[in-house]
Amino acid sequence: MARPLIHRSPMPGLGLSLGITMTMLSLIVLLPIGALLLKGAHFGLAGIWETVNRERVWAALYLSFRLSLFAAMFNLVFGVILAWVLVRYRFPGRRIMDAAVDLPFALPTAVAGIALTALYAPNGAFGQLAAEVGWRIAYTQWGILIALIFVGLPFVTRTVQPVIEEIEREVEEASATLGASRLHTIRHVILPMLTPAALTGFALALARAVGEYGSVIFIAGNIPMLTEIAPLLIVIRLEEFNYDAAAAIGIAMLLISFAMLLVINLIQIWSRRRIGHV
Amino acid sequence: MSDAALTRFRPATEETAFARRTLILSAVLGLGILVFAPLIVVFVEALRDGALAAVQSLGNPDAAAAIRLTLTIAAISVPLNAAFGIAAAWFITKFDFRGKAFLITLIDLPFSVSPVVAGLCIVLMFGANTALGGWLVAQGYPIVFALPGIILATMFVTFPFVARELIPVMIEQGRAEEEAALTLGAGGWRTFWTVTLPNIRWALMYGVLLCNARAMGEFGAVAVVSGKIRGQTATMPTTIEMLYQEYLAVAAFSLAAVLTLLALVTLLLKTALEVRHADQLAATHGR
Amino acid sequence: MHIEIDEISKIFGATAALHPVSLAIPSGALVALLGPSGSGKTTLLRILGGLEYPSAGRVLFDGADATALTVQERRAGFVFQSYALFRHMTVFENIAYGLRARPRATRPPKAEITRRVTRLLDMIQLPDIGARYPSQLSGGQRQRVALARALAIEPRMMLLDEPFGALDAKVRKELRQGLRDIHDTTGLTTVFVTHDQEEAMELADLVVVMSMGRIEQVGKPQDIRARPATPFVKEFITA
Repeated sequence: MARPLIHRSPMPGLGLSLGITMTMLSLIVLLPIGALLLKGAHFGLAGIWETVNRERVWAALYLSFRLSLFAAMFNLVFGVILAWVLVRYRFPGRRIMDAAVDLPFALPTAVAGIALTALYAPNGAFGQLAAEVGWRIAYTQWGILIALIFVGLPFVTRTVQPVIEEIEREVEEASATLGASRLHTIRHVILPMLTPAALTGFALALARAVGEYGSVIFIAGNIPMLTEIAPLLIVIRLEEFNYDAAAAIGIAMLLISFAMLLVINLIQIWSRRRIGHV
Repeated sequence: MSDAALTRFRPATEETAFARRTLILSAVLGLGILVFAPLIVVFVEALRDGALAAVQSLGNPDAAAAIRLTLTIAAISVPLNAAFGIAAAWFITKFDFRGKAFLITLIDLPFSVSPVVAGLCIVLMFGANTALGGWLVAQGYPIVFALPGIILATMFVTFPFVARELIPVMIEQGRAEEEAALTLGAGGWRTFWTVTLPNIRWALMYGVLLCNARAMGEFGAVAVVSGKIRGQTATMPTTIEMLYQEYLAVAAFSLAAVLTLLALVTLLLKTALEVRHADQLAATHGR
Repeated sequence: MHIEIDEISKIFGATAALHPVSLAIPSGALVALLGPSGSGKTTLLRILGGLEYPSAGRVLFDGADATALTVQERRAGFVFQSYALFRHMTVFENIAYGLRARPRATRPPKAEITRRVTRLLDMIQLPDIGARYPSQLSGGQRQRVALARALAIEPRMMLLDEPFGALDAKVRKELRQGLRDIHDTTGLTTVFVTHDQEEAMELADLVVVMSMGRIEQVGKPQDIRARPATPFVKEFITA
C-alpha cells in the first residue's frame, strides 16, 4: 500500500492547522505569485521576450546582476574573515561587533538608503575623502555596490560562524603534527570545511542583492542604462500603468531568483553527500 | 626553561600575533565603515539643527500620520503572521506527511522574491483594473492604494519569519510532551496552551521580533502597493523617502532615527534572547 | 630515538596537571602511560608532541634539548583519540597530507608519494579504500588510517592518545595486535596513553603508572604486577 498523504494521528489540530496554513499560504503568497505568472501567461512568452529584450531592460538586469555578484564576492571574503575573528578571538567590543553584524537585517532599507547616501555624497564624510582622490561614489555604480554590500553583509558571516564553532581543534593539531605550517592548515584543512556554508551564504547574499530596492535607489542616481537597477524599472513601468511590461520584467527577476534558490539547495545537497553534513 | 623559548611557543591552533591583529583590525575597520558609520550618520543628520528641531519634525502631520499607519500595519500583520507561523509549525512538526520539504520551500518563497516583485504581485491580483480588484473597489473595499493592500504586501515579505524560527525548535522538542498531555486527558487547546506554548515562547518571541522589525521597515513592496498617498497610505519608510526628496533632510533623518532606534532595540532584545535562551532558539542552531 | 623527560611540570591556572615528573624512554620501546582520567597522562603525551608547552622542565630527544621545537619540527606521529581525520579528503589524501604539506624543497615527487601511500595502505591491511571518505569508514578502519597518516611522515616517534578508546571489544583486540606488529616492523619509539590496564599490560614493553599528575611506578608489566610500588598501583592493577 502506498504511503498515505497524511498519516493518521491522535495529535489534535490537524484540520485547523492544515486549514490555516494552506489558506494563508495560498492567499498571501501563492495566489499573488500566481497572478504574476498568469499575467505573464496571458501576455505570452513572445510578449514577455519582446518587452525584456530591450536595451534598457537588459542594461538594468545586467547591472543588478553584475553588481550583486561583486557585492556578494566581497561579502564572501569579508564575511569569512569576520566570522573567524568573531569566533576565534577575544577582544574588547567583540560582543557589540557580533550584534552589529545583524544591523543590515534589522534596519529598514529606506533608512540604510538615505544614510549611505549622506555618507558617500560629495559633501558627505566619506564622499569628501573620496573626492580628494577624484573618486565619485554616490550616484555612480560604486554607490550601488556599497549599498549591496551593506544589505548582504550578515549572510556569509552568519552561515559560516556555526561551522567555525564546530571545527574540532584536534583536526588543526593533527595537521600541525603532520608538519603543515599554520597557513597550509588554514588553506587546506580549515577553508575547505567552510566552503559549503560560505557558498550558501554567498548565494543568499546574491539573491538578496539582486532584488534590493530601498537601500539602492537613493544612492544610485537611477540614470537609465547606467545606474538603473531592475526593480526600479518595474516601479517605473507600474507608475506608467504599463502592467504588462512590469509583469514581464518581474517574471524575469522571479526566474533569476528561483534559479539561485535551486543553486543553494544543490550546494547543500552536494556538500552533505561529500562531508556527511554541512 | 628559557624565556625566549616560552615566548616562541605558539599553540598549533593559533595564528601569529601579527596575523591575528591584522585580521581583527580588518574586521573592525570593515564593520566600522560599512555598519557603524551609516548608523552614526542617521543621528548626526537628524540632530543637525539640534534635538528640538528633530523632535518637532516628528510632530508634523505627515510624520505623525506615517507613524500611526506603520504602527497599525505592524499591529495587524505581525499577529496574523505569528498565528500562521504557529499553525504551520504545528502542522509540519506534529504530523507526518509527504511533501514537507516542499511545503517548507513554499513558505520560504518570500525570502527569495524581490520586495518590488512582491508588491507587483499584489497589484496584479487586487489592482482596480483586475476582475477581483475592480469588484472589491465597487463594494467599497479597495485593496491597492489602501490599507488592506499594504497589509497584504507587508505580510508577504514577512511571511516566513515566525514559522522559520518555530519549526526547528519544535522538531527538536519532539511530540513526547504533547502526547503525554493527551494521555493524561488534556484536550487539544489545553495541550497547546499549557504544554507547547511555554516551550516555544522564546522562539516565538524571537520570530515576532524579527517579523516586527521587517514589517515596520518594509519599503519596496509598500512603495509599489500603497500609492504613497500623503497622510493616508504613506508609511514611515515611504514618508522618509518623500521628505528626503523634498530636501527636508532633518525631518527625513529624524523619522529615520526613530526607526533606527527601533532596529537597535530589536538587536538588543534579539541578543538578549540568544544569550539567555540559546537552547530554545532555532537561530542558535545554525541560521 | 631515545626520549628523556626531565622534571616536566604543567600548571593550568590554579591546578597542576603534572607535578614535576621525570622519565627515560629507551629507543624503540613501546611504552604505555597508564592511569585514570585526570592523571596527567594525556598532558604528558601532548607535551612530548609539542601541542602543550611545559610550565617547567625539559624534553630531550637523543640527548638534545627539544623543548623549544615547534610541533611541525618535532616529527612526532600523533594519533588522536578521535582520529581527527580530514573529513573533506579521501583516505589517500589524508595519508598523503604530511608529505604534500612539506615545502617544495623537501617534498617528494608525486609518484613517490603515491608509492608510499600505497605501501602504507598495505601495511594497515586496507589496500582498497584509498578513494573513500572518512565518513564511509568504520571506527576500526578510521583508526588504522590515522595510524597510516602519522606514519607517512617518517616520524621519529609515535604518540597515540587512547588509540583504542572509541572501539568495541572485538575490534580492540584485533587492532592491539596491529599496533604491536607496526611497532615491531618500524622499530619506532612508541608512547600510548590508556586507562585500560589490561591493554597496557598486554601491549607495552614499559608501563608508566600515573595518578593525579605524578608517576607512581615505571617498569615492565610483570614487574609491576609482582611488586606494586605504591597502594595506588596495587589498587589499580587488578589482573
